Amino acid sequence: MPRPFTETTVTAHRAASPAGTLPAQVIWPAQRSGLAPLIALHGISRNASELVDLLRADAARSGRIIVVPHFSARRWPHFQRPCRSARPDQALLALLSQLAVTMPAFAGPVDLFGHSGGAQLAHRFAMLYPQRVGRLNLAAAGWYCLPDTSMAHPYGLGANAAPDALCWARRHAQALPAYLRLPVQLYVGSDDTLRDASLRQEPELDRLQGRTRIDRAQTYLDRFRRAALTRGILPDVALTLLPGVTHDVARAIRDAGLARHVTSDPSLAPLAAAC
Amino acid sequence: MTQQLLALLDTAKWTFSTRRVDRAVIAGMDHDFAAASAGDLILAQVQEIGQHQRVQLVSGRPSNIFPGDMIVLACGARYAPDQFEGLAEIDPAGADLLAGGGCLGRMVARNARIKPATRLLPVGRLCDAAGGAVNLARFALPANAQADAIPVIMVLGTAMNSGKTTATAQLALGLRLAGYKVAALKGTGTGAFGDYNEYADTGAHWVADFTDAGMVTTYREPLSRVKAGLECLLGHAAAQGCDIAVMEIADGLFQRETGALVADPWMRERLSGLVFACGDAVAAAGGVAILASHGMRPDALTGILSCSPMAMAEAVAATGVPVLRKSDLADPAEANSFALRAIAATQRAA
Repeated sequence: MPRPFTETTVTAHRAASPAGTLPAQVIWPAQRSGLAPLIALHGISRNASELVDLLRADAARSGRIIVVPHFSARRWPHFQRPCRSARPDQALLALLSQLAVTMPAFAGPVDLFGHSGGAQLAHRFAMLYPQRVGRLNLAAAGWYCLPDTSMAHPYGLGANAAPDALCWARRHAQALPAYLRLPVQLYVGSDDTLRDASLRQEPELDRLQGRTRIDRAQTYLDRFRRAALTRGILPDVALTLLPGVTHDVARAIRDAGLARHVTSDPSLAPLAAAC
Repeated sequence: MTQQLLALLDTAKWTFSTRRVDRAVIAGMDHDFAAASAGDLILAQVQEIGQHQRVQLVSGRPSNIFPGDMIVLACGARYAPDQFEGLAEIDPAGADLLAGGGCLGRMVARNARIKPATRLLPVGRLCDAAGGAVNLARFALPANAQADAIPVIMVLGTAMNSGKTTATAQLALGLRLAGYKVAALKGTGTGAFGDYNEYADTGAHWVADFTDAGMVTTYREPLSRVKAGLECLLGHAAAQGCDIAVMEIADGLFQRETGALVADPWMRERLSGLVFACGDAVAAAGGVAILASHGMRPDALTGILSCSPMAMAEAVAATGVPVLRKSDLADPAEANSFALRAIAATQRAA
């Protein structure tokens, strides 16, 4: 049994899986609210420790347990999406299973938050394992796996001649109805418009998902809604612009309250400024 | 019980099929072997070593056997085209060890590539205090009405050794890695710990086979009893808190009980997912056609077939059914797609 805490603490964990070992830090608030644990996924800067510092106060305020995995560049050169060469999904599953041994809340749905590359992993994980996810928070993803066949995998659920594309598209598509029932909150900074080297830029991607992260988030919002409605599912998806924020998770948290948004009880704190 | 019998039973090798037996109910033995029926417990002595040089113990390990060894096992039939066909009959002059898991009977057919059966000398049929034969059915799990509550992915195949057990175990592993509490079940066949242990090694939440439903073998059992056994196992899987079950049905589609099950509407109504294991593309096409004639279509093909990329391509072309390797079945992403489909099917049926 987890020991009782008198103050918010951080513990280190490691979980081995067929895909490799994944270290993580867990923020344990002194007072637990009973809200689902939150898994926070870093972007390509791999700033897990900084995320722990940035999220700690909101873990204490909300009473949520927050888990921050660290996908190191050496072990996990590609962590943004499950594919033949990397299986971050298996590592996350193993981490959840290990934590569930002492904390049953991890056996049920957990909330996911990811920024940039972490948002890419978060939504792809949720597409594969929607039953493991409670609420999905995607901040400033560079691009998405659209929930339709307008683009070939990994940009969508269409198939092409790439090895394994058909297999992954099938796996994602199988879980699509359950995925489209998830509550999904998209975030992007209102000033996140820079097309720098960290943003994937390809003519087809620019044309079909948009040229900036804002455009691409809007496209994803529209496609998610359409895919859900096509299946008779009432979508619970929204996009929030974070005023004055660029592609910077620290500013998004410190200046725009992103951590407060993703840790709060969504039934008690409706978002303003949703698109 | 006489001191002599007590000593014999204490030193005897109790086989896997007897693992549910409460030895305290045994009070004696008779020699009415003509009256022995499937499931009756027999104390027998190894007479001559043949095909089986070992038996599988209750403890889960194999034991070499030697002439003179005392063994407790169950009278039963056997269907194994790679080994023997046998009937649940005990000849007082000598009986055949039909399966190392603990099945004694009379061999009626033998695969040309294997040795004659190991011969056992029946010593006695074990009885309770009232003089009645002690049968495995007495120790079966009680019937359970929760069977409908759990989705079940059935694993069928073309024959023995087509890859069903591997498929069952690997899918159970994938489902467990995806976060499910999985029941790995062997619905039909002859009692042996190999499959049981392979399932257990995957970390499945609950593992059981038809011996837990009181049968040493399902061969030549009435279909109603076989189905009741399957329902019993599924009900207990649900009661154990399992989210989903993977159930292997032994042997091929033409085998007597498997064929009857596949043709029975119960199977079509009960399954939430279906995996078919086979050895080559022609077998895949044949199996898919037979299943289609009963209103079923596999979600995936697997088995020995999946070792060959060329055979896989031919099978997909012939059937339109995807072929999954064992590593695919063990992949939580793949297994989860099975589970979501199976759970949705069960919810629709409810």
